[in-house]
Amino acid sequence: MAAGLDKLVEDIMKESRAKAEEIRREGLTQIEDSISKAKAEAIREADEIARNTKTESDAVVNRRVSQEKQKTRLAYLTEKNKVLDNIMKEVETKLVELCRDDSRYRPFLVKSIARGIEAIPSEGVKIALSQRDIRRYRGSKLLEDALATIASTKTAVLDDEPIETIGGAVATSQDDKVRVDCTLEAKLELTKTQRLAEISRILFAS
Amino acid sequence: MKKIVEVEKEGQQMLEATMREISELRKDVPHKITSMRQEILRRAAGQRELALAEAERAGTQEAERIALEAKRHVESLSQISTDKRKQAVERTIALLLS
Repeated sequence: MAAGLDKLVEDIMKESRAKAEEIRREGLTQIEDSISKAKAEAIREADEIARNTKTESDAVVNRRVSQEKQKTRLAYLTEKNKVLDNIMKEVETKLVELCRDDSRYRPFLVKSIARGIEAIPSEGVKIALSQRDIRRYRGSKLLEDALATIASTKTAVLDDEPIETIGGAVATSQDDKVRVDCTLEAKLELTKTQRLAEISRILFAS
Repeated sequence: MKKIVEVEKEGQQMLEATMREISELRKDVPHKITSMRQEILRRAAGQRELALAEAERAGTQEAERIALEAKRHVESLSQISTDKRKQAVERTIALLLS
């Protein structure tokens, strides 16, 4: 009878211990699951931060490089323009010298006048020169030479009003409606793109 | 019979103690999660700071290299030979007089 009772007591205790163990195991499992899920979520967020960091880092490098490239490009262009400006100053000095040299300047002036006459659609053409050229070429058959160059039958007269120019001429129709600028300044402007490209090719081509 | 009642009571107490123990552990879970999450994100933020500082350093280094190279290019402009300059002037005048 006593042995049976002891066995019953032992069974009850055993069952209680097993239940307690099961409760503990389930509880701990639930806790571990919660922590694991939270950890996985935090790791996902950290990974997202890492991915964004890569993009941000690339942007930092690109921004810095881009700023410097822009700065250096501006500095290079500024210096390049200085070189081109200096060349143009040399050109202007040479042109002034050239205009003083009759043997080189007169053929150019004749050609310029001829172009002007050709471009004016009227029979009568007025040719304006600089004060210096008026003094130098008045009565020197300059206009006749220009007309002969293009075998023109038009009439050309020298305008008494001088123009401001390094060299060259301005042709105007008798009624003043059409004006053709054949001065060196106009030519400089007209050939600007070609001129700068040509100078750059000579100076900067590697 | 009395002994059985006592044992059952003892078993019940054992279960209640286990439930209290688990309940205590559960109470601590939010705090644990918060600390762990903060630690993980703090580490990620630290790595981000390091990476950005490294990127800044790499960008500066690359910018310095570009600046140096550009300086050489700019200097080369002032070293254009007299022959080339003369050629450019002559070519320009030829263009203007043509």
